[in-house]
Amino acid sequence: MIVGGQSLVTSPPVFSHDGKKLLVCTGCTVSVFSTTTGMLITELEGHTERVTSIVVVPVAGTVGTKFSDYCWTASLDGMIFYWDFSTPDLLKKVNVQLPVHSFVIPNILSASLGRSDKASQNLYAFISVEDANKEVENGKHLHGSIQIYDLTNSTRAGGVLAETHKPETLAISKSGEFVGIKKQKQLNIWRVPNKNLKSVNMKKLKLHHTRTLSCLAFHPTKCIVAAGDVSGRILIWRGFGKMRHSQDGGGKMKIDMGDRPGVRGEDDADSCSTWHWHSSEIKFLMFSSDEAYLFSGAKEGVIVVWQLDTGNKTYKPNIGSPLMYFTDSPDPSLSCVSCEDNQIHLLRMPSMDIIKSISGIKPPLILSELQGDRSRVTIGCDRSIGFVALPTKDYRIQFFSLLDGTDISHLQVIERNYDPVDETTVFISLVEVSDDGSMMSTVEEKLPEMGIGGLISLKFWIRGSHTGQYTLSTIIYEPHNNAGVSDMAFCPGRSMAVSTSYCGNFKVWVNNSSFIHSGDEIQEKGGWRCQSVSSYKEIPMTAAAFSGDGSVLAVAAETKITLWDPLNNVLVAIIGDSLGPIRQLAFVGSSEYIMSFSSGTKADLVVWNISNLSTHWSYKLLVEDICCTRSETRVAVLALLSSSDKSISTGKDGMVLVFDVENPIPVSTWFVKKAKGGRLSFINNKLGEATDGKLLLAYINGEHNYVLFDPSNVKEQEDLIPKSARRPQSYAHDENVSHGYASIYGELPSFDLTKARSSDSIPFVSSERPWETIFSGSSHALPPLSKLCSPFLESLLEKAEKQTVLSQ
Amino acid sequence: MMADEATRRVFPTEPASHLRPRSRSVKSLVSTPESSFWRTFRSSTLHPSYLHLPITSLSFSPNSSLLAAASSTSVRVFSSLSLSEYDPDFDPALFATLPLPDLAYSPSFRCDGALIAAGCENGAVRVFDLPNDKPPKTLRRLNAHSCASRVVSFPLLDHKLRLFSAGDDALFVQWDLPTETPLFSVPGAHRDYIRAGAPSPVSPDVFVTGSYDHTVKIWDARVDSGASSVLSINHGHPVESVLFLPSGGLLATAGGNTIKIWDVIAGGKPVYSVETHNKTVTALTLAKVRDDTRLLSVSIDGYLKSFDFSRFKITHSMRYPAPLLSVAFSPTGTIRVVGTNNGAMYMGIKKKKDEFEDQVGSDDFAWSVPLPEKPTSRKNIRYFKRGQSEKPSEGDFIIKRPEKVKLKEHDRLLRKFLHKDALVSVLKTQQTTSIMAVLEELVARRKLIKCISNLDNDELKLLLSFISKKATQPWCARFLMDLAKCVLEIRAEDIRSGGPEMAVHVRNLRSMVAHEIQVQRSLQEIQGMISPLLVIAGK
Repeated sequence: MIVGGQSLVTSPPVFSHDGKKLLVCTGCTVSVFSTTTGMLITELEGHTERVTSIVVVPVAGTVGTKFSDYCWTASLDGMIFYWDFSTPDLLKKVNVQLPVHSFVIPNILSASLGRSDKASQNLYAFISVEDANKEVENGKHLHGSIQIYDLTNSTRAGGVLAETHKPETLAISKSGEFVGIKKQKQLNIWRVPNKNLKSVNMKKLKLHHTRTLSCLAFHPTKCIVAAGDVSGRILIWRGFGKMRHSQDGGGKMKIDMGDRPGVRGEDDADSCSTWHWHSSEIKFLMFSSDEAYLFSGAKEGVIVVWQLDTGNKTYKPNIGSPLMYFTDSPDPSLSCVSCEDNQIHLLRMPSMDIIKSISGIKPPLILSELQGDRSRVTIGCDRSIGFVALPTKDYRIQFFSLLDGTDISHLQVIERNYDPVDETTVFISLVEVSDDGSMMSTVEEKLPEMGIGGLISLKFWIRGSHTGQYTLSTIIYEPHNNAGVSDMAFCPGRSMAVSTSYCGNFKVWVNNSSFIHSGDEIQEKGGWRCQSVSSYKEIPMTAAAFSGDGSVLAVAAETKITLWDPLNNVLVAIIGDSLGPIRQLAFVGSSEYIMSFSSGTKADLVVWNISNLSTHWSYKLLVEDICCTRSETRVAVLALLSSSDKSISTGKDGMVLVFDVENPIPVSTWFVKKAKGGRLSFINNKLGEATDGKLLLAYINGEHNYVLFDPSNVKEQEDLIPKSARRPQSYAHDENVSHGYASIYGELPSFDLTKARSSDSIPFVSSERPWETIFSGSSHALPPLSKLCSPFLESLLEKAEKQTVLSQ
Repeated sequence: MMADEATRRVFPTEPASHLRPRSRSVKSLVSTPESSFWRTFRSSTLHPSYLHLPITSLSFSPNSSLLAAASSTSVRVFSSLSLSEYDPDFDPALFATLPLPDLAYSPSFRCDGALIAAGCENGAVRVFDLPNDKPPKTLRRLNAHSCASRVVSFPLLDHKLRLFSAGDDALFVQWDLPTETPLFSVPGAHRDYIRAGAPSPVSPDVFVTGSYDHTVKIWDARVDSGASSVLSINHGHPVESVLFLPSGGLLATAGGNTIKIWDVIAGGKPVYSVETHNKTVTALTLAKVRDDTRLLSVSIDGYLKSFDFSRFKITHSMRYPAPLLSVAFSPTGTIRVVGTNNGAMYMGIKKKKDEFEDQVGSDDFAWSVPLPEKPTSRKNIRYFKRGQSEKPSEGDFIIKRPEKVKLKEHDRLLRKFLHKDALVSVLKTQQTTSIMAVLEELVARRKLIKCISNLDNDELKLLLSFISKKATQPWCARFLMDLAKCVLEIRAEDIRSGGPEMAVHVRNLRSMVAHEIQVQRSLQEIQGMISPLLVIAGK
């Protein structure tokens, strides 16, 4: 029911004509934010694909038009919509049929839709579209093309202006006189005639450079164009297009080759100067409204202000994140800058102080291959509040409320200055929040340089008076000597935590701190201390979980699950073997089951019965995440589809399955996109009385888009899930899901419904060597001999086959 | 190069707090107003006699001009004004020496400071006058005690003709001075030696005595009830010192290692018990701390503790190198004296005026209407400087200039990405924590190896000397051992050709490694010995 987490920075935002509102492309909707409060006002819903660009209609004079806000939006679904975004109403639809990546309307000032007097012209738009089906010409894949489209009559006006390898972003000068694109190492600029806009009488001007260009900007009034390239250079062409544009159609004037500093070849410009400060690709260029300055930004997170006449530069506040776009508003004292960390900062203009920030969910932390280990986004199972704690690149943790879709707070975990240019050497590798949200632990890792100076430290935090406000309680340096921490778990209802490590032991931490009231402030004495250290055969410990009442601690020692009494540090029982190293464990409510999954080549999902220490059921599925409710027996599983599967082609690479733990047939199933790195969690529903008391399932995908829904409410989910998956998915299709039922014979076969049905009530042991474990467990839990016999014999046969293959 | 970072917090490389385990005593170093008050005292030592005899009692005259100290057979009176310019070589501070026939005890000034009385080991009580220019002379000899008169005291209130005394013979007497006769006498007031006594601050006729029979008794001279006291309190230990708190309603008693506060008006109800001293508490006194009053206690364990009896909290404690027997605090609040059992007196004299006291002083004039400020003419320089030194008043809204971030040298260099310069500059400071912090920061920036290979020979020496000193310290060993290995590998050529100084560093390093190996080996031996014991204990 609740969808959120869209990126705010896929496309540049646009201010409304009075500068009071900011229109931001958020997935398939356009969100309208207030610039004074930074809060969401309304959303424009209608597109079925990502919205790529917005054009706000300026107030044309004072010709009796009522005060209103109109805009055009274009999307990848090939539609251009015309909105009144104050109400918000959809006024007009134009179908372009090709995915629109960018569009501009040059004559928007002079032409206006809806005025029927004959003085008004047709409204033309330059659109940059993607044509994926285009034939390959001369060995070039020219997917993108620039076209002119008549919005008034909904027809294409003339042919193609330019063809590019991929769809390019269009830039337009403020007066609407010039429209330009970057095309690899050159700029293409068109002058838009005042009348009779046809593609035939458009003249193209080319300006060349030696490097690939990344962005361009036109001067508001003069014939100056600035372009940035991938190496961080800024090129300023002055007086472009004087010759060709001034005398179109006439004979070619002789180009004066002398006295044109910096201009390459026969380019039509007076001069070209180059400025270089940025070390990486220029992300945006923008001339100031007073025409004296040029703003540029790149990965450094610093806005550089160039004085246009002299080239002198000053630096404006370090935003602390790679910059994406810079947009100025009609109000000269307001502008905004979009950052890569999904934030839009509204700036007070001459000083460039941040007035307000509109922040979305932080993008996932991407670590290079060097870092190897998984970095986890952990859902704080604060079920009444429903927030997630996300580690960010700038050494902080963002607390994001899923129910409200707002950013709650940020917590500086590592006290270090963040520089966006640096490669990541220090990062937060693990965040774990206790069930009630009162405690949190973080693990940070510092990677060594040539084996020197690596450090892993564990921090415990205690919640303050507000949600998302945590104070540091204890720091533990090198909790497991040199080895990394694989998992953390908090004991419900007690100040106890466990950390497992790859070096083969796990530690139980307890907080026996006492608070001393000294005067006004409260001092904490003590803090978290290690209560016990245990290991099981020196096997790397990979996961840990506490049972619902905190009396049993389950720790995965690679393929085995060891059960401990956490208070007395006594090994109670061992349940073995899963196929691969277990990645995560979860107790299923208060029932006697524990769930685990392993990844890698021998991925599986197993439900174990604790009372008789045996497998209850299992699937051979590549699972990304599991989550269990504390009270009920429902479990949700996020599985990745194997690449051979046919639904991959539609972009869906994962599915969410909800099981009742007694029964291996899933209760319900949904297909989802971008499941890699996704997370699942049950959270309490505090909204709406209709679903009161029911748990919502939160699914966050690999790009931190999320959806919250009630898994038991099948009817609504059909409405909802398409939003996250972006395409409707009929429920009948869900039957397909059970294909993942693991058979014990080698690789995953194609789905056989009857087989799954016939054997679904049988607890199966899937193991590499089934003849060893197939008969383990108590006799009443064993399947009948008739069922066991054939797999047993077949497993022996297969073994023999393999051996013969080897001997050959 | 650097952008203005006003909007973002700047983290210095330090504190690399992980390098060291947090010490528990950090909290006590945090400055409280109380500790800063006590820190304004300049301490000095005084030896009233060259004999190492205990100073049993100290007393200030009510107007603070004189200090009396009882030690051996005399009471020495010092002028407190000259104490503040005390010169240890020359002894001009001594104002007078009062001769007594035997060991002197308990000097006490009269409320106007003109007379002083003292007890004696043989039981005699003498009263002296203290003229400014002449030597003191004995005015009265009061003989009633048969044993040492340990407690002698004038009433605190303006009653100049009375004197209380009590002694080891358990006799308690109120004297009429002019006639040298006892007005009120209680033989056998206690069942043991009376060693403590104090007059009441609210009545000239009320006196409290404390004895080794664990009891504290309050006497009222107006009530002639024979041998029975007005009130009797059991302290639980032999009482060493008693004191009325300024209200007169609360009583502090010290005995054993506890100090107890009693409510006298409520009939001797215990209010609070302080047990912070480790040994017997020997003396109590009141001290004026700014506009507050504290109870000072000294003990054989050498600690002077300041107790805030309004909040029942120890607010400060000071350690002295000897067992303490007596303490006195001047009524003006500027001199603090403690007496030890080896004849030394430790004094603290207030160096400077507290800003708090200035405020207190100005409070007296708060009612007066402030004079209108004289308008300064434009010719005067003050006209141009007017308002610059204005202090904000309480209700003002203060707009602060954004604080300038103070950065150390190496932090500044790191911000400019001058990594090697930062490393060299921090190595020169020789502060281990800073050096470690910078090294770790360089690792995080992936610049350490480059820095090491770029160091020139002198800088390499600096680094080597640091490593050879600190490599085996437990909290940085893991880092520095690896670093040492790396430096030796990368710069092998330069070290070999680096001359004798480099060789010394390498030799130091080698001997350190050898020593560390030795330590590790012996630790392993110990572990081998202990682990079977632990296994047995576990069963």
